[in-house]
Amino acid sequence: MNRTPTVRLVAGREIAERLQSRLTRVMTAVTTVLVVALIVIPTLVRSSSAPTVVGLIGPSAQAIGPALQATAKVADVKIRVVDIADDDAARSMVKNGSVDVAVSIGAHSAVAEVQQTLSPTIGALLQATIDRAHQRQALTDAGVPLSKILAALEPVPLSTAALEPPPVNQAARSVAALAAGLLLYISLGLYGGAVASGVAQEKTSRTAEVLLAAVRPRQLLSGKVLGIGVCALAQLGIAVVAGLIANAVVKGAVISSTVWVLLPSILLWFLLGFALYSFAFAAVGSMVARQEEVQFVSLPVAMPLVGGFLLVYLTIAEPSAWWIRLLSFVPPFAPALMPARIALGHVSAWEIVLDVLLMAASIYGMERLAARVYSAAIVRGGARLGWRTALRLRGE
Amino acid sequence: MLEISDLVHRFGERVAVDRLTAAVAPGEIVGLVGRNGAGKTTTMRAVMGILRPESGDIRWSGHAVGREDWLRFGYMPEERGLYPQMRIIDQVAYFARLHGFDPATARDKAQHWLTLLGLAGRELDKVVALSHGNQQRVQLAVALVHDPELLVLDEPFAGLDPAAVDALSEILLAEAQRGKPILFSSHQLDLVERLCERVVILEEGRVLASGTLAELRARFPLQLRVKVEGLTEWTAELSGARVLRQDADGVILALGTHADPQSILRAAQAAGPVEHFGFESGGLADIYRQLVS
Repeated sequence: MNRTPTVRLVAGREIAERLQSRLTRVMTAVTTVLVVALIVIPTLVRSSSAPTVVGLIGPSAQAIGPALQATAKVADVKIRVVDIADDDAARSMVKNGSVDVAVSIGAHSAVAEVQQTLSPTIGALLQATIDRAHQRQALTDAGVPLSKILAALEPVPLSTAALEPPPVNQAARSVAALAAGLLLYISLGLYGGAVASGVAQEKTSRTAEVLLAAVRPRQLLSGKVLGIGVCALAQLGIAVVAGLIANAVVKGAVISSTVWVLLPSILLWFLLGFALYSFAFAAVGSMVARQEEVQFVSLPVAMPLVGGFLLVYLTIAEPSAWWIRLLSFVPPFAPALMPARIALGHVSAWEIVLDVLLMAASIYGMERLAARVYSAAIVRGGARLGWRTALRLRGE
Repeated sequence: MLEISDLVHRFGERVAVDRLTAAVAPGEIVGLVGRNGAGKTTTMRAVMGILRPESGDIRWSGHAVGREDWLRFGYMPEERGLYPQMRIIDQVAYFARLHGFDPATARDKAQHWLTLLGLAGRELDKVVALSHGNQQRVQLAVALVHDPELLVLDEPFAGLDPAAVDALSEILLAEAQRGKPILFSSHQLDLVERLCERVVILEEGRVLASGTLAELRARFPLQLRVKVEGLTEWTAELSGARVLRQDADGVILALGTHADPQSILRAAQAAGPVEHFGFESGGLADIYRQLVS
């Protein structure tokens, strides 16, 4: 007989059941739509921010129109130029917002009328254009030939030579750290909860007893965690890929290298965190007497998850505090804190290696513990088991 | 051959099984009989390795029973357990695969047993859509699908209609004829009597009695029910027989080894018109009642 490994069979059944379930499909669709919306909506809002409208009053101001547009293009500033007949018309247009700034140029002065403030970029742009027009007029009046004037006014290109790399975008890193924490928190809570209720369902429907005649408790446990884990990753993967595609289509935010570097570490700690928490959730799922108790019994497992997420805020505030560094090695908090620290750029390689080793060891321990509780609790009828009883009981 | 010796298991303070010893030989159907809480389910769970007994030996083919053996046993638990949202053919095939069959064989086996159990045409139904009796048939298919070497069935007849009871009885007899040992529990003593070569009667975790029906019967005196119109005092003179009890349908006499039924009949006739004279059935139900009373 060509034996398929039992864990794979159990995992395969979990995956098949989830693929067939309408709830899973709806959840995947909702998550994906949500992620795409989060990316598309800001770009829609941003593109509706129209270029600055510059009103030029009278012929003397209107004369600088072409030069103004040319300079704006070089400076990569979006403007739209409109001609306005007189001051009264200009004032009412500024007031009703159809024009952002109205410019009038006299012989020795120029005025830019705005509602409240003039953006420094637009101000500098106007100043440079007006100055150049003024210089050109003065040189022409002095009888300088046009070719010499043009040569004199030719802009000198300025290039930048940086001695050090550009400063890291601290804001982007904080956002990335927070997003990673949130992603882990939501998905671990969601899929960990799925493990707990799946185990509870097998217990309360008594399927576990039939299964245990053929499968070891540990195989059943690992298969369940693996199957739900694969579904979780697939669901997350679909959402992330959809998000990246949406981002490329709408030419949204330029994904900074921080995020790309962060992705593998989020994935790694997601897997480690998922394994650790799922085994714990499976243990509590096996202790219930009724399906409705799952949420209440899961509280002790969900608390450190919430705690870890909240600690991400403190990590952003004080990434190198000794106690944050210490907590990032404590297994229940590590899945949230370590990616956050990596995002904020305060982690050395040995810390990552040590943390992964610690996580692996605690996953092993948690799996042993969960299997012990699970095998003692899963075929017991009657009232919900307490932790103490569950640990005292002998299983397989 | 399945041998259980000195099995002990406690749940907290309560002793569930107390030094239980029993055996099931190849081709033999053994019935576990006892009221709720007598230790039947705990014994079967211990045989299946679902719980680890505190002490005692469970041996299969001469060696201590282990993981590889459990994989070759077929088990039907007292409280049925199936995935409600799974199609029944998928469900039975899944269990076949857990027992080591490749996908195609697993499906063929599942189809075979579903057909044999009268579920042809319902293969694609979900368990939740089936009646209680039909769910029971699926549960049986799960226990039988991997052609197990030993069958352990906890209350397999509970909730089955008479036709299904007959169908299952035939299947069990056929499996026994193929040489498989079968251990099953039931409250339906008439069924146990009909199917089992040997019976183990449990009470509060202990074996009250075990053996073939004939052996059990021999341990108890033959009982005679006699009704003589209106009279009871005629029994005072009988030799070799004593009155066990008395009710509206006459007296029940326990016959000693030297009692002569013919002389009892004559004594009854001498006392008055005899309305009833006959042996009590001596069936399992009677034996059980005497044991636990």
